[in-house]
Amino acid sequence: MSAERWKDDEALLESIRKGVPGAADELLRLYQGKIFNLAMSILKNESDAEEAAQDVFMTVIRKADTFQGNSAFYSWIYRICVNTCLMRLRGKRRNETVSIEEFMPVFTDEGMHASPMDDWSKEVERDALNEELGRMIRKYTEELSEKYRVVFVLSDVEGLSNEETARILGLTVPAIKSRLHRARLYLREQLSRYLREGKAG
Amino acid sequence: MICKELAYMLADYFNGSMDARLREELDDHLSRCEPCAAFTKTYQAVADRTHSLRRHIEYEIPPEVSKRLEAFIHAAALKYPEKVREYRDQVERDRREKVADLVRAATAGKLSSATALLVESHCAACPECGGYLAALRETGTTQAGDPPEGIRSHLIALMQTLPPGEEFFLA
Ligand SMILES: [Zn+2]
Ligand SMILES: [Zn+2]
Repeated sequence: MSAERWKDDEALLESIRKGVPGAADELLRLYQGKIFNLAMSILKNESDAEEAAQDVFMTVIRKADTFQGNSAFYSWIYRICVNTCLMRLRGKRRNETVSIEEFMPVFTDEGMHASPMDDWSKEVERDALNEELGRMIRKYTEELSEKYRVVFVLSDVEGLSNEETARILGLTVPAIKSRLHRARLYLREQLSRYLREGKAG
Repeated sequence: MICKELAYMLADYFNGSMDARLREELDDHLSRCEPCAAFTKTYQAVADRTHSLRRHIEYEIPPEVSKRLEAFIHAAALKYPEKVREYRDQVERDRREKVADLVRAATAGKLSSATALLVESHCAACPECGGYLAALRETGTTQAGDPPEGIRSHLIALMQTLPPGEEFFLA
């Protein structure tokens, strides 16, 4: 089946609506990687993410008719994925491994930085560090509670705008901004500690 | 501006939504405060590196998961074509009914004021819909209500711009 048959998301969706053979395969080819990644970043468990991905694609196929062209297709399918995953998390214990509060910057009573600050921004640009740094960012992201994690993944990992992230999660832009900010503060602090210890050791 | 305030404004500083006067104040503080300069650069590095290293951060779908997913969708598609068709038919019927209600209310002059405004401004710009509704009004046909596909899709789009829960016709 040639991919040229579906020039864009809209054409693909139309084919799914009509039940054109191969359209569902093309949908999978285009989106299964993205959906699995998003499901994994929320659920952090491979078999949960696999089941969630099945649900997501079934929902997309069943609801292809109700998709409204006024939002991008990927934002619709991401939204279905986020809702599916959050539903699965409901009832399950939220595994908050660390308290984000302990990793916020510390200020004196006068509102000045309480401890000296290293500037490691140039250091992390070294290509030799890419793999290790990526691994550490993933690890620290997984430690965030899902409220911050989903926002951080959509905004900073995937690069969506605050507005797009807000639409996908059904939250306001200020709520997205504040969660994203706290997630970044957490990662900044964790990376600082990691790099400092790395240098010492 | 103190360091603590600066730290809480960084997100706005980087996404460009900060107003010029505040930005100036913040830049001024940054030029005089070493900890804040380091804090700001490393904060920005987190966002930048996270995006540029996303290939290392994202989870790759294992080939066996991908195979099972394809098999599942195939099996499901074979097993549920009826259900999918039923669901589609229902959605299609609901849409037609809604459009029919809208057309009837429009011809009878019974649209809510918000909806009437929407319909009027669309009809002013769209000869297709304008002509269709004008003809219905002229002949006084209040029973009609199943417009051609093109017009139906315009009216569906129009109704979707109404706030949720908004009644489009007068009681
Ligand atoms: Zn300062
Ligand atoms: Zn029209």
